[in-house]
Amino acid sequence: MSVRHALLGLLSEGPKYGHQLRQEFEARTGDVWALNVGQVYTTLQRLERDGLVASDDEAAEGPQKAFRITEAGAEELAEWLRTPPDLTTPPRDELVIKVLVALAMPTVDVHEVIQAHRRYLVELMQQWTRLKEDEGEFDLPLALVVDAELGRLDSVIRWLDSADGRLKRAVVEPTAPTAAPAPRLRRRLAVRR
Amino acid sequence: MSAALVERPPAVGPVLRGRVAARRAVIRWGWRLLRREWRQQLLILALVVVAVAATVVGATVATNSPAPAGAGFGTAQDRVDLPGGDPRLSTVVSNVEQRFGRADVIENETLPIPGSVDTFELRAQDPHGAFGGSMLSLVRGRYPSGAHQTALSSALASSFGAGVGSTVHEGGRNLTVTGIVEDPQSLLDKFALVAPGQVPAPTTVTVLFDAGGRSTAGLGAKVLPRSQAIPSNAFNPETISLAGLTIGMILIALVAVGGFTVLAQRRLRSLGMLASLGATDRQVGLVVRANGLAVGVVGSLVGAVAGILLWLAYRPRLESSSHHRIAPFALPWLVVALAVVLAVVAAYVAARRPARAVTRIPVVAALSGRPPAPRAVRRSAVPGIVVLVAAFLVLGWSGSQAGQGNGNSGAPQLVIGLVLLIPGVVLLSPFLLSAAARLGRSAPLTVRLALRDLARYRARAGSALSAISIGVLIAVIIAIVAAARYGNVLDYAGPNLASDQLVLHSDVQNGPPGTVAAPAQIASESHAATALGGALGARHVVELDSVDVGVDHSGGGRTFNGQIYAATPQLLAAFGIPASAVHADADILTSRPGFSGVSGLALEWCKVPMTAGKGTPGPGGGVVFDSTCPSSGRLAHPVVQELGALPTGVSAPNFVITEHAIRTLGLRTSPTDWLVETTSPITASQVRTAQQAAAAAGMSAESKNDAPSSAEVENWATVFGIALALAILAMSVGLIRSETARDLRTLTATGAGAFSRRALTAATAGALGFLGALLGTVAGYVGVVGWIRSNALEGGIAPLGHVPVPDLLFVLVGMPLVAVLAGFLLGGREPKAMAHQPIE
Amino acid sequence: MSFLELRHVTKVYGDGSSEVRALDDVSLGVDRGGLVAVMGPSGSGKSTLLTIAGSLEEPSGGEVVIDGHSLSEMSHNDKARLRRRTIGYVFQDFNLLPGLTAAENVSLPLELDGTGARRARTAALEALERLGLVERAGHFPDQLSGGERQRVAIARAVVGERRLLLADEPSGALDSANSEAVMRMILAACKTGVAAMVVTHDAQLAAWADRVVFLRDGTVVDQTVPPPSAEALISSGPKP
Repeated sequence: MSVRHALLGLLSEGPKYGHQLRQEFEARTGDVWALNVGQVYTTLQRLERDGLVASDDEAAEGPQKAFRITEAGAEELAEWLRTPPDLTTPPRDELVIKVLVALAMPTVDVHEVIQAHRRYLVELMQQWTRLKEDEGEFDLPLALVVDAELGRLDSVIRWLDSADGRLKRAVVEPTAPTAAPAPRLRRRLAVRR
Repeated sequence: MSAALVERPPAVGPVLRGRVAARRAVIRWGWRLLRREWRQQLLILALVVVAVAATVVGATVATNSPAPAGAGFGTAQDRVDLPGGDPRLSTVVSNVEQRFGRADVIENETLPIPGSVDTFELRAQDPHGAFGGSMLSLVRGRYPSGAHQTALSSALASSFGAGVGSTVHEGGRNLTVTGIVEDPQSLLDKFALVAPGQVPAPTTVTVLFDAGGRSTAGLGAKVLPRSQAIPSNAFNPETISLAGLTIGMILIALVAVGGFTVLAQRRLRSLGMLASLGATDRQVGLVVRANGLAVGVVGSLVGAVAGILLWLAYRPRLESSSHHRIAPFALPWLVVALAVVLAVVAAYVAARRPARAVTRIPVVAALSGRPPAPRAVRRSAVPGIVVLVAAFLVLGWSGSQAGQGNGNSGAPQLVIGLVLLIPGVVLLSPFLLSAAARLGRSAPLTVRLALRDLARYRARAGSALSAISIGVLIAVIIAIVAAARYGNVLDYAGPNLASDQLVLHSDVQNGPPGTVAAPAQIASESHAATALGGALGARHVVELDSVDVGVDHSGGGRTFNGQIYAATPQLLAAFGIPASAVHADADILTSRPGFSGVSGLALEWCKVPMTAGKGTPGPGGGVVFDSTCPSSGRLAHPVVQELGALPTGVSAPNFVITEHAIRTLGLRTSPTDWLVETTSPITASQVRTAQQAAAAAGMSAESKNDAPSSAEVENWATVFGIALALAILAMSVGLIRSETARDLRTLTATGAGAFSRRALTAATAGALGFLGALLGTVAGYVGVVGWIRSNALEGGIAPLGHVPVPDLLFVLVGMPLVAVLAGFLLGGREPKAMAHQPIE
Repeated sequence: MSFLELRHVTKVYGDGSSEVRALDDVSLGVDRGGLVAVMGPSGSGKSTLLTIAGSLEEPSGGEVVIDGHSLSEMSHNDKARLRRRTIGYVFQDFNLLPGLTAAENVSLPLELDGTGARRARTAALEALERLGLVERAGHFPDQLSGGERQRVAIARAVVGERRLLLADEPSGALDSANSEAVMRMILAACKTGVAAMVVTHDAQLAAWADRVVFLRDGTVVDQTVPPPSAEALISSGPKP
């Protein structure tokens, strides 16, 4: 979905060829997201079908075919830019589920599981940071992407940290049996699915 | 492995240079801090400035107020005074010039000022004379040079109505006034200066010279050396001002300890930072000590300059009131220098303890800005009590030394004992604070909090308490000694007379023991007294008859002191005492309170009249007889009756023998004095008139002198002590409360209103005030009782028997009450300044 | 041998029933030119670890060796000298002495060590120049922004020939741009051979380190392995 709108964004600057669109997409996302040619053309075909872009030359198929954005396409792009991503229903997070599962298994040390994930995430962050460090005065798009990734990873680590602390406190001062809240939680998760 | 730690060879030179560089860096920072935070140190700075300035001004005024030593000598070391026309003059002058080089001759003729009883001196003196030059200075015009010229002192010029250029008539001569002159050493001197040799008939002639320490025997006249003309005074003004300064500096140092402790706490994080940068303990402490040093140096220099400026501003007034010229920079420089040095030392010493304390805090704790909570040690009272006991014993030793009457013996012990009282007070202060905190455990919240804060921040609260206590201590010692001294009815002390009383003493009293007045003399003196009484508009003139009797006290200690008169009907009537009021068996009537309770009294008199022997002529036509007594009489346990109606003055008839006793014991009486009582207080000019009239009759007149009464001494001492203690208290409470402002803010945040804030400040002030009053009073009593207890001379004084109750009440109740009230009134301010911590 | 080595360091506060084990048998080494981050929640003992490594506190057990010298064999004054010459600290918020200009703050450790005022100043200005602060040299701390203050603190920590840099939450209250600048400076110092240790609870900060050590309840529970190359990351990056 975001590739769709990224292509629309590129076309809003003016008519462009398909291969040109692929190059610009990669350059502008800091070479982080690789995009193959097939993906570009499938997306463009869908956009054309929906009437959001139009191709100038009906005859010329392939890389030389130029595309431009339609009025409906510009409207769609403007609306998408301003629509907040859907954050109201949390996505199914594999990590959360893993920790919950670990918690339910008496043979597994949850803290160890959390630490394993934390270490992995920190190592990932180290790699991203190394990217910043190595590039020196590295380009703006890459910087934005790296910051976004670091922020995302950081927030996951923060969740691990708070989970760690919460679990630690729960051991020290055990509250009522966990039987009661569990069904409620499951019910809510089910709703989200 | 790199040798990071040994890369610098330990050569002596570089190490020393390095130490200096490091020291400079640290001191520079200390100085910067002082400049940035001088407001927080204003209190200590102000104390030092005021103390030094006051010492400079006080010592300068005190040393310059008395007439210059050796007035009348000029710059000479020796002088000879001869009557005018004395034939020895030329011999003396030629002898002096021959043996000692130079002589300066000054001739004076005393002449009446026309139309006045006043006189002036016609003076022939060389203005450029070798020794007398400093006794003359020209105000206007020029010195006289010829036979018909003169220069007048300004007072005389106004008497004559003359000015420069006018002419005055004197002794048939016309003299042209060439200038206005003065004697800088005596501005009241009224004289007309003429050229040498122009005084026709001198009354006195003075020869000034300098024998240079050689013998002056055989000059042909009596020589007065300068050293004999200077009165030697045991307590010179410089000593007194230095003693005052020393006590003042001890107080300042005690207050400053608190101030520097607070400052060190405020800078705790900075100091921790310094230590983390590798500053040694010595360097960290140096910051605090350098601060103290800087405050001392700045304060004492500003104080000295302020003092000198004040002195320069005050000098003209002192010149006119002390009647002699004073050089602008005639300061006691030694005292000034000592004051500056002492102030610096006091500030430095005060900063040393916080400096040591701050280096003991672990670096990590200092960095976090949280000093470790003071350890909850139970402060022992033992060291303080031991020191007080030592002071008690040393003072007792001093007292017994002095009691043996060897002049100044015991003085060093007295000083040591008094000085020991101070560490005693300082050591007891922290104990008292923690004791108060323990006692106040169940008090209301604000009081409990205030007491606990005082105990927690013992370093500053303790030094504040010590300073307050010492202020009280000084007052209490003076009050107790005054009460005890004035309370002694045997050795009676106090004001001599009331302001409406005057006593004329017969000339007989100027004669040696055993002088008896001639009847004619008594008659003429009595007449003169009556006449004077009439002139003063007196209510009555009472003849006072001295009784030939002595009072013996076998109880040891002080002996009886005072004039014993006869209770004549005339005397009793004058004080409104009817004969019926006097008990039939009373031997003695007295106004001295509590005298009837004195045991071991006896009256002693000589049975054989002195006049039985052969006399020699005495003054005023009197006769002097042999005063030794071959056979004496003694009356043990005379009956004493206290009569409040009798006057209480020391020179007034406060102790009289009844006619009954005079009759039965066969005592002799003779009129010696006359008491004049007027309807309104006697003025200064009336006193002068009386003195002249008395002198004309060969008598002397005594009026109320400046001796203070016991109540005056005690009250002034108490007021002074309380004022001093309250001033210290105000500063200390300000300091302590500003430090606990954070608590105050928390209190405010939790809903405590202005009342709680007021109560907190009031409780702090009240607790400090009361504890200070208590400690000061106790230490004062320890000192006085210790000294007097074993002092045989003072044995008659019972300090515990004569407690200055009102003054102690003032100190123990009044002062804390004032502190509480002031704290309550001033403590209500919103702690807005503390809304955020100062940027560090 | 590592420049800074902590061997079986234990730190116990209080005694008896109130005993708290802040550090329990921690061993750790920082090489020349290396940057180690110690990560852990508050109360994990990471600040204590730093103060012990920096000779500000004594361990209850174990040994701290800096440049081959054991701290336990040093006198109080030797340690002060070590702090003047070898160790540089950067703290979270309170770093500069008020009353001294930026340049004076930086030259202070040199001057404490006995370097002449002029030479110390020259060295301080050089250090400030490297951090792009030379025009702020004459300013007092309260005239500097938070980021500038922290940079001055780093200049002071590396001035002279300091070879051990210890930082406690060096980006404290700074925003992300300033935090990044601070970490870049620390990294630049490491490039010149300085051994650095940073304690933090912030993963973004710790991610700058070569090695991240995880501290929990006073013990080292884990550490990162040296990361693979950045290229690997890009190819395995998130899918669109």
